[in-house]
Amino acid sequence: MACNCENNIVEANEEMIAKVDAIIDRIGTSRQIIIPLLQALQHEFSYLPSAALEHIYERTEIDRAQLISVSTFYSQFRHIPYGKHLIKVCTGTACHVKGAGNVYDSFRRELKMEGDNITSDDQLFSIEKIACLGCCTLAPVVQIDEKIYGHVQPGKVNEVIEDFLGFQNKTEKEETKNKLRKIAGEIRLGMGSCCQASGSSDIYKELQKASGELGIDVNIKPVGCVGVCNKVPLIDVVHADGSITRYPNVKAVEIKEILHYHFKPSGYLKRLKNSFFNQVDTFHTDSTWDNVIWKPENERTGVIDSFLSGQKHISTQGFGFLAPLNIDEYISYSGFDALKKVLFTSSTTETINTILKSGIRGRGGGGFTTGKKWEIVAASGKKDKYVICNGDEGDPGAFMDRMMLESYPFRVIEGMIIAGYAVGANKGIFYIRAEYPLAVVRIRRALEMCREHNLVGENIAGSDFSFDITIFEGAGAFVCGEETALIASIEGERGFPKQRPPFPAVAGLHGLPTLVNNVETLSQISYIVNNGADYYRQIGTPSSKGTKVFALAGKIRHGGLIEVPMGITLNQIIEDIGGGLEHGEKLKAVQIGGPSGGCIPAHLCDVEVDFDAFNQMGAMMGSGGLVVLSESDCMVDMARYFLSFTCDQSCGKCTFCRVGIRRMLDILDKICSGRAEMADLDKLEQLALNIKKASLCGLGKTAPNPVLTTLKYFREEYEAHVNGICKTGTCKEMVKYVVTEQCIGCTRCAKACPVDAIPYTPYEVHTIDVSKCVLCGLCVNECNYDAIRKVPLKAN
Amino acid sequence: MVITIDNTNVEVLEGETLLEVARRAGYTIPSLCYAKGARHKSSCMVCAVKNCSTGQIIPSCTTTPVGGMQIETDSEEVRLVRTLSLELLLSDHRADCEAPCTLVCPQGLDIERMLGYYDADRKKEAYDTLAAAFSLPEIACDNCKAPCEKACRRGTVDEPVSIRVIIREVAGMADAESAAMEMSFPKPDKKAFLSRLGRFTEKERTFLKVNIHSASNCLHCACSGRGDCKLRYYSTLQGIKRSRYEASSALPAMTKIHIVGNLWYEQAKCIRCGLCVYNSENGFTFRDRGFGMQVVLPEENRKNIKEELAELCPTGALYRI
Repeated sequence: MACNCENNIVEANEEMIAKVDAIIDRIGTSRQIIIPLLQALQHEFSYLPSAALEHIYERTEIDRAQLISVSTFYSQFRHIPYGKHLIKVCTGTACHVKGAGNVYDSFRRELKMEGDNITSDDQLFSIEKIACLGCCTLAPVVQIDEKIYGHVQPGKVNEVIEDFLGFQNKTEKEETKNKLRKIAGEIRLGMGSCCQASGSSDIYKELQKASGELGIDVNIKPVGCVGVCNKVPLIDVVHADGSITRYPNVKAVEIKEILHYHFKPSGYLKRLKNSFFNQVDTFHTDSTWDNVIWKPENERTGVIDSFLSGQKHISTQGFGFLAPLNIDEYISYSGFDALKKVLFTSSTTETINTILKSGIRGRGGGGFTTGKKWEIVAASGKKDKYVICNGDEGDPGAFMDRMMLESYPFRVIEGMIIAGYAVGANKGIFYIRAEYPLAVVRIRRALEMCREHNLVGENIAGSDFSFDITIFEGAGAFVCGEETALIASIEGERGFPKQRPPFPAVAGLHGLPTLVNNVETLSQISYIVNNGADYYRQIGTPSSKGTKVFALAGKIRHGGLIEVPMGITLNQIIEDIGGGLEHGEKLKAVQIGGPSGGCIPAHLCDVEVDFDAFNQMGAMMGSGGLVVLSESDCMVDMARYFLSFTCDQSCGKCTFCRVGIRRMLDILDKICSGRAEMADLDKLEQLALNIKKASLCGLGKTAPNPVLTTLKYFREEYEAHVNGICKTGTCKEMVKYVVTEQCIGCTRCAKACPVDAIPYTPYEVHTIDVSKCVLCGLCVNECNYDAIRKVPLKAN
Repeated sequence: MVITIDNTNVEVLEGETLLEVARRAGYTIPSLCYAKGARHKSSCMVCAVKNCSTGQIIPSCTTTPVGGMQIETDSEEVRLVRTLSLELLLSDHRADCEAPCTLVCPQGLDIERMLGYYDADRKKEAYDTLAAAFSLPEIACDNCKAPCEKACRRGTVDEPVSIRVIIREVAGMADAESAAMEMSFPKPDKKAFLSRLGRFTEKERTFLKVNIHSASNCLHCACSGRGDCKLRYYSTLQGIKRSRYEASSALPAMTKIHIVGNLWYEQAKCIRCGLCVYNSENGFTFRDRGFGMQVVLPEENRKNIKEELAELCPTGALYRI
């Protein structure tokens, strides 16, 4: 019972102990550094070996009780060794509606993992579900070690595994050095996590290689997130005159051609040689037939232009051209002007008044007026105060915080220092979710640069204000997005929320006044200071000011990250920016705010983006996931999906959340399998209302929202389920596959079936053994004659 | 400072929580995860009250009163929250208050108690228990169809305990008889709330079959802490008959571990209030999170536990025998 170490019996050896000692010497021995310490251990050994933990008890203040309590709370920590490679199947909302469950099952089948096993017998692969990889537009997404695969189909998992193993064996070619001579122009390439997921690192390498080979000296500039996630990799070619030609969905093979089209090589001989080879290439390789340059202009960029037209960039200012880690460039675009303005021309009270007057409300979900929070922290006379930037974004289907940390680190840092100045704090902490390694790297580097420029640390920019910023990496717990739980985790405890009052603004980290602001909130501060509160107030609705960043995903034609002014309607977002639903499907609802939010039905989608308007509908701005659902999505399944997420993420402290959500899920499971009675719906509703009422923290209070809104707007769908019908065929226990007369007996389905539910009967109409069928849908994809149908088990 | 509780003004003393203020003023507010003087963090929500100033339901045990607060302790809304929180806890509480054999005995014999003495080799008490229900030497089992043996949980594991054989054996203890006195034993309170364990899982059956081998073979289903179990007491008070939710638990039923001295711990009865965690130094701890969260005691930490900790446990999870 010591910990989850049943399979964790590894002899302590001197080498291991030496490594553990080195880690302890580096990180420290106090109780509150337990999370960084365990992270370092896991980084070293890939899991937490029990022998190493025993050594921790001996050498540090951390005792067994604390270690078990903390290490089993955060999902990042592993007590058993994993296989060589880790497969992470994204089960975020967008991936869920596109069948991530089937993909997960397929991987397990393919790797022959049975029962509770998550590691293949040859110890090569382990598999786990992950809340969101933040590549929603490529759904369903799977990450194997560092390599991300998008649009993974259950039938193709073997190809993914083969590709990955092939990729492992391939020795990387030596990169051609990029010699800098006369710069012919600039190429900008989005390098956010999602861009990299769709292959922009390959494009980047190809650009460097090709420009070297062709002798074209261009400045290749990796920029932050470009937002148009389903059009990436996207490159912008910037000509000497500043005009831009944009290429969405570029492939590596097209790079040479693009370069060649726009730029002339520097030497005459090379130019001649290149033009010859280019001709030969164009004539002789298939891959260049579909020539990108020959595509008409509007086909190349029209979609993107309309995608960008309805947006307004405040948090994402510099969108598409600002390099994430170029501080000089940020400064040249009036970066840190706002900071200097407040430091030298504005008192702390004036600064707070500006923020108050701007009307900005916290972007983390609750929508508390930011200026008020600042005022409360500032009112305390304590000498030491903290500012925490909450980057523990955990909603499945939301990744705007990650994008901002990765792409605009300086803007967030600037906002944080201004906040620190205004409230009289001297320490800042970036709390960044464990799953965002790139964000951590960028913020760390950005902070170093700021220090070099005297923008962080003692006497900032020559003023008498000093403010230091550190980074704390979260360890995988959704509840730590709640501010009191977040503080508990920095203090080295389980992420249990505390009852408020006292609010963190009065007594937070180490009992000191603590300002906790979301990443997006902080990223709007410099704009407000630069442009004035009155200017900012003009954007938005009476009760919600400014802009909001959303992750637009689901059944939408053009998904991605968008920043829109408050007050835009959901329909405008879907139609004008997103280009409507994909495959011409009909809009059913918009899920907004992830597991804390709710579903807004199509007929109410003319609602304006506004904190209070969403709240009135039972939904919530949340952190800003916006998942578009079509007529083929089951609302009951949707509610169950979100509830299973919160059930998994509940900290377990309070009864209503720990047991109540589990019981709601039990009832939903019953409904989705057709075993429920009508009375169960009332029971579900009663429980949901009371959980909302009697939960202590935000997680529990909002967890019933997905259920309550669907019950409110789609009750007939629940009733149909009670009667045994899931119209969309999503709920597996209510449907079966049948083979129709169209079948010619080609046996493709029989070969495709992973569980041998379809007997191999050539030239006969195939049959499906319902008892074996796992409803993975592979046979449907495989059939060329549309002869396999999903039908309800029960007649309508 | 003055607050209003159920429309009456009440004075607040320095440092008091809302629960303490209300109790001092004579209001009855149930609570499980609170113990006076002990470190606690609100968890159970059985002490819920309504703050009419904000419209929020709050746990009174950790709320610091604010001047002018208007508190409601006994409205229908508040009562429902309390009832639901108890029912939710009960749906995750796979344990019996009373042993099934005892409940069905037409003679009212506390069979489990008798078997307990029998297993502890305390023959005299075993005899006395029997004597309290039967008019010995007559044995009422002769014409009885033995519902006790049918109800016996051991029967769902392997074979039911041979209750009638043991009764005869105990009745035949001549030397014990000579010392028999008029003794009264607390009778099972049939009006009180009765928690039921339900069915064992396959894993539990195997565990019990392998691990429980007392002289009588009895599993001792009855709860050793039932006498002062707050969960049971408040469930009775709220008029709960059974939880409206289907029961399931992530904890294994009936795994009793010996800690130190007379102190024992049975995980399945734990309501995860954390009193034993917060009030022991490197002793009890939480493991995992969410519905599967457990309160565990690592073997190495048993030495750090004091027997008095049992007083804090609101259920029969941590008990002394």
